[in-house]
Amino acid sequence: MAEYRLDCMGEACPVPLIKTQKKMADMKVGDVVVVEIDHSCAMKNVPEWARKEGHNVDIEETSEGEWEIYIEKTK
Amino acid sequence: MRVQDHKIFKIVVKDAWSYTTGAILLAVLNIALFALSKIPWGVTTPFSYWGAWIGKTFGIHVEKWYYFAGPHKSALNMSFFTHQGSIMNLGIIVGALLAALAASQFKIKKIKSVSQVIAAISGGLLMGYGARIAFGCNIGALFSGLASSSLHGWIYMVFMFVGAWIGSKLLVKYFM
Amino acid sequence: MSVQASVSSETAVKRSPKKKKNQLPIAIGLLIVVIVLAVIFSQISKGLAIAWIFGIGFGVVLQKSRFCFTAAFRDPVLTGGTSLSKAVLLTLAIALVGFGVIQYIAVQAGKGVPGGVNPAGWHVAIGALMFGIGAVISGGCASGTLMRVGEGFMMQWLSLFFFVIGSLWGARDFGWWNKLLISSSPKAHLPSVMGWSLAFALQLAVLGGLYLLADWWGKRKTR
Repeated sequence: MAEYRLDCMGEACPVPLIKTQKKMADMKVGDVVVVEIDHSCAMKNVPEWARKEGHNVDIEETSEGEWEIYIEKTK
Repeated sequence: MRVQDHKIFKIVVKDAWSYTTGAILLAVLNIALFALSKIPWGVTTPFSYWGAWIGKTFGIHVEKWYYFAGPHKSALNMSFFTHQGSIMNLGIIVGALLAALAASQFKIKKIKSVSQVIAAISGGLLMGYGARIAFGCNIGALFSGLASSSLHGWIYMVFMFVGAWIGSKLLVKYFM
Repeated sequence: MSVQASVSSETAVKRSPKKKKNQLPIAIGLLIVVIVLAVIFSQISKGLAIAWIFGIGFGVVLQKSRFCFTAAFRDPVLTGGTSLSKAVLLTLAIALVGFGVIQYIAVQAGKGVPGGVNPAGWHVAIGALMFGIGAVISGGCASGTLMRVGEGFMMQWLSLFFFVIGSLWGARDFGWWNKLLISSSPKAHLPSVMGWSLAFALQLAVLGGLYLLADWWGKRKTR
């Protein structure tokens, strides 16, 4: 169960989602990626995509305007 | 109990609203604005006025251009704080700031790379120029134009989609 | 925080919440400034106060719902998502009906057609194409750029500056475009051309059809 951190701080739309999609494609089932973002759009569109694909998703606000999205690859 | 812990505060102020909620509210606001002021929502015409006011101070003779000699002649006698369109745009900026602060989600995001600088400059120029010749942006031409049952709004929707497709290819290739 | 499908290895994943500052007091202070300005503007003209209040309203709604027209056009191709596309189609449909009522009443009262009806021609196609490219590469359209200026994205501060310069450049060239295309392009108010019933049935059918298309496209799994 590998854990990866994906630093997407300061990225413009829709870079956090694209980077997350690419990272997830390289991960094995059971791996977890923690996506660090400070973009208000990404705190919606990244979890939405991950849930649509059927993965386990959790999101936590870590600071003002900063979030961590935890995605566990399930398939 | 702190106000932030209250359920209504959480739903209305803290949490993000759904896209559907946003869609309904934006449409209702635009309809109300149109009904009250006879003019629907638009964003970019004021930008051309800001440019003109700045340009005039640098000695550019904008009054000689067709745009400011004809259809937008009155702009040259106006100023920012008494121009409705400019105040509405300022309101959008302040409203977004207000919403972010109320949810304690405001953060200054610095520019990260040279490619972001190039993207912002070229993107801004393209949008400014394109909106002038197409009679508006995603709000004035697409949202309000299409809602006005104007053919130009529909043409805008189709070609903005094509442009977005081209932009996506450029984004991935050069700006990521 | 999702309820049904939480990350299983919660203790193993390092979480790093920092001490969070409360910005609500600043927001309340700003709100007071907004209200004071609304009162001041209303002393100058009713229209100015309306513009300010509606601007604030648009800004709040855009930010709270993370509404993004750019994403509506970009995501179907770039990320496979269509939830914003559907939201944009919905807002267009509601506004279309609302505007239609306002226009119909005005026309019945013998006035001209109010609203944003402008010349339809190749200048719109070219301009919209340029706009679409610019919006995607800069990470925001017109409303999105203003929203992000307020959210603190310095990239959009830069984009806005050049948006203004581009607008002036476009204004300078407008006379040329007018000669070339605009002056020979007709304004086409669809209900005036084909009748109210047909125009609305057609437009709503197209929006509805696009909605279904977006729904189907968005359900396709990407990777």
